[in-house]
Amino acid sequence: MAMHWWTRYWTAARFMLIEQARNRLALLLLVLFVPAWYALIGGLVDNTPLAFRFRATGAFIQVNGHQLTLLSMGINAITLIVGFMLFSATRKNTRFDRRLIRCGYPQLMLILARLTALVAVAVAVSLYASVVLLAFWRPPHWPAIWLGFGCATVIYGGIGLLLGVLVRGELEGFFLIIMLSLVDSFLQNPYGNPVANKDFIKWFPTFGPTQVVVAGGFTDMMPWRYVALSLAWLVGTALLGLAIFTWKTRARRVQALPLRGTSPLASPPPAV
Amino acid sequence: MPEPVLRVEGIAKSYGRHAILRDVSFTVEPGVLVGIVGENGAGKSTLLRILAGDLQPNSGRVWRRGALGYCPQEVVLNEALTVAQHLEYFRAAYRLPDLGRAGELLALLGYERYRHTLVSALSGGTRQKLNLTLALLHAPEVLLLDEPYQGFDWETYLRFWELAAALRAQGRAVLVISHLLFDQQRFDQLYQLNDGRLAPLAAAVDERQVS
Repeated sequence: MAMHWWTRYWTAARFMLIEQARNRLALLLLVLFVPAWYALIGGLVDNTPLAFRFRATGAFIQVNGHQLTLLSMGINAITLIVGFMLFSATRKNTRFDRRLIRCGYPQLMLILARLTALVAVAVAVSLYASVVLLAFWRPPHWPAIWLGFGCATVIYGGIGLLLGVLVRGELEGFFLIIMLSLVDSFLQNPYGNPVANKDFIKWFPTFGPTQVVVAGGFTDMMPWRYVALSLAWLVGTALLGLAIFTWKTRARRVQALPLRGTSPLASPPPAV
Repeated sequence: MPEPVLRVEGIAKSYGRHAILRDVSFTVEPGVLVGIVGENGAGKSTLLRILAGDLQPNSGRVWRRGALGYCPQEVVLNEALTVAQHLEYFRAAYRLPDLGRAGELLALLGYERYRHTLVSALSGGTRQKLNLTLALLHAPEVLLLDEPYQGFDWETYLRFWELAAALRAQGRAVLVISHLLFDQQRFDQLYQLNDGRLAPLAAAVDERQVS
């Protein structure tokens, strides 16, 4: 029976989005944690001017410590939430996805659907966090803040997906995401942090997104290079995660052969 | 005798030095209900996973004809989706034109009222019914069921046998494995898996003759 590939793609994408929308812990974290984090940490940090190394020009620019910290907290909160959402969905459903594939679902459609869910979640969460930010500060170039937040969320979506196929325990995965997100976002902020402007910081996942949000908050230029760098992170982590997913969900023998045929359905691997 | 739909020849499987299956061979014809009984750890699930193509044997061969339905022992469902959403998902997997068969199975197993309930809110028995339904949606020629009635109440257990009898009457081959097989007279062929070796179970033949 013919069934259009679009029907199968959309069925899987719709159910993966429904699944994300039913992750109540993540939604609760999003609604409560994001404004609380802005208010709490933002309230603790004053308007001290800070020297931030803006890599697009290579020069140090002076930024407001309170405003920069709001951006760092936003990145920290949303990367944690999106990383958790993708980790949780991928880890829980690897066996279910394998069952679907064994029943004939094309692996590629499930992979595309998972990526669709990742991007949709990243867009929605980053939009919410950048809108809530307006209650605390009006940055001069708000769309760039949303874009930077979006870059951070797709990167951690990819990391969540990768951890989802690698880490067995929910607690271990969640802990890894919390630690990575905390260390990553705090290291990028020079407030009370002498290593923020060092070169090795560029190897951390939110280096690119931080450059993008700083551009939106304190400059009149858009460093597209760092948007591209963020997408490279997404591609790298997601490809690795999806390669492991493909390997884990592969069907060893899927074709049913005629009984009178010469090829067996299952046979031992050739001797080497 | 009709041509078999499943032929298993000399299957062996071991993990390291630990042999799970040793030289397992049998055939299954269409319209036949086969039972394989064995204690926990006898290799039943390993055998079924090999027959389903989920696991590679170390040696031996499996031939199969027609579509396969496989109901794993462990319930494999998505907690965040409803029963109806599972049916739609697997309809897309099997490329079915409609869900008419699904409606029949829900009615037969008596859980129609949970159609729009989330799996996370279902009891263990109802989850098992859905687990079984998903293996039957596409009316497969060969059906492999691993402890299929685990968690069923008595009523559903009887309904399950009605379903198995109907499938057999339609010419489907049904292979059930369990650590305990009650109602042995319901099977056409019975085997025992003991220490990785499969042997016909004579007791069942006696029971069938008595009944």
